[in-house]
Amino acid sequence: MPLTAMTDKKNEIHDDEFRVIGKPGVTTAPESGKWNLVWIILAIVAAIGILLVVFWPKTKAESQETAVSATQFDLEPLGVTNDRTFTERIDTLVGTVQLAVYLPHNATPVLTADVPSGSDIILAARAADVRADNGKINEAFVCEGRALAFGMSKKGYCAILGGEVTIGVAADSPLFEEAVESGGYFFRQYPLVDNGTLVENEPKNKTMRRAICSRAGQIFIAVSETDESFHDFAQALVEFGVENAIYLTGGHASGGWWVGPDGTSRPFDPKARTGIYENETYILWK
Amino acid sequence: MGKFIVISKGTEMLRIPPERLVYISADGNYSDVHTLDGRPQMVSYQLGQLEDMISDQLGDEGSSFIRLGRGYIVNMEYVHLIDISQKRLVLSDCECFYQELEPSREVLVKLKAYLDATYSDD
Repeated sequence: MPLTAMTDKKNEIHDDEFRVIGKPGVTTAPESGKWNLVWIILAIVAAIGILLVVFWPKTKAESQETAVSATQFDLEPLGVTNDRTFTERIDTLVGTVQLAVYLPHNATPVLTADVPSGSDIILAARAADVRADNGKINEAFVCEGRALAFGMSKKGYCAILGGEVTIGVAADSPLFEEAVESGGYFFRQYPLVDNGTLVENEPKNKTMRRAICSRAGQIFIAVSETDESFHDFAQALVEFGVENAIYLTGGHASGGWWVGPDGTSRPFDPKARTGIYENETYILWK
Repeated sequence: MGKFIVISKGTEMLRIPPERLVYISADGNYSDVHTLDGRPQMVSYQLGQLEDMISDQLGDEGSSFIRLGRGYIVNMEYVHLIDISQKRLVLSDCECFYQELEPSREVLVKLKAYLDATYSDD
């Protein structure tokens, strides 16, 4: 076959495409074709949606509520049932984001405003951000009922009241006062997921991301095994079924560890530095 | 005589037993052919043209070769490690040959899914 005749249909391949030579049927369709189809389907769905809004508004509202409820209750709980105290690690791939999910079993969460120690800790991760210049905690922070900081610029919050974790998004949450009055815990961070919806944030850099998440009544920490943007990490959490999530201080300069069923303590990131600030805040389970 | 992949052009001819061809990497209008002896050979064909040659010369037996994006043709027999998080594909015969490639993460996801399905069918 002359060389000129062999051009270059075969070179029309995307970098994300894969095909088996000798098996013409085994291939992944080019993304553009797939997206064209997706856009057509989205356009049809949007048109139907507009018609429903215009002609049948009550039905739309009712059906939305039903859909949300069905999603929430269809999710299977993660992990094993066990009466021992340990952290279970579950690895999952969501799109191209590899997530490690750390699910504490039979342990109670608390916050600390220093680097924690103790053999009873089975899961620990840095929580609120600390200023690099003066070592002070950036945002509202309550530890055992003591309010240590009061900032409110980050809208995501996590409250621990009577051992129960509540994650949410609000500019001003009464749970701060409840934490102070009841000897509980409270901190603020970037919101990532609010009632199953991705929340966009300003920082655009990529690094190892961490979050505290609620999903089907379970609370866990999710860590990206790869460097991700806020957006891609939050999107992966949404696709994983997370209902609410806020960021935990992450990056490769953050400590944190987990104790598996064999009793061995392992860091999230073996290369992480710890103790670099005067105050480090941690959420931990013991 | 066993089957060979024959890459011939002008005054040169390259003959390779298919089972000893580990991978081919693209280099603009040229390609580097990597065999088990660890001595890559540059050929003046584009990857798509070599893909055609493998398909024409080996037919169904060419199905152990896969095209990974714009950058590589890989012999699946030598896929040793797929690490999506680190974006690594290691090709090795677990003896003499060891080479790390960096295809896109998306293509690694698809390759792993394909191999998972292949081995679960077995």
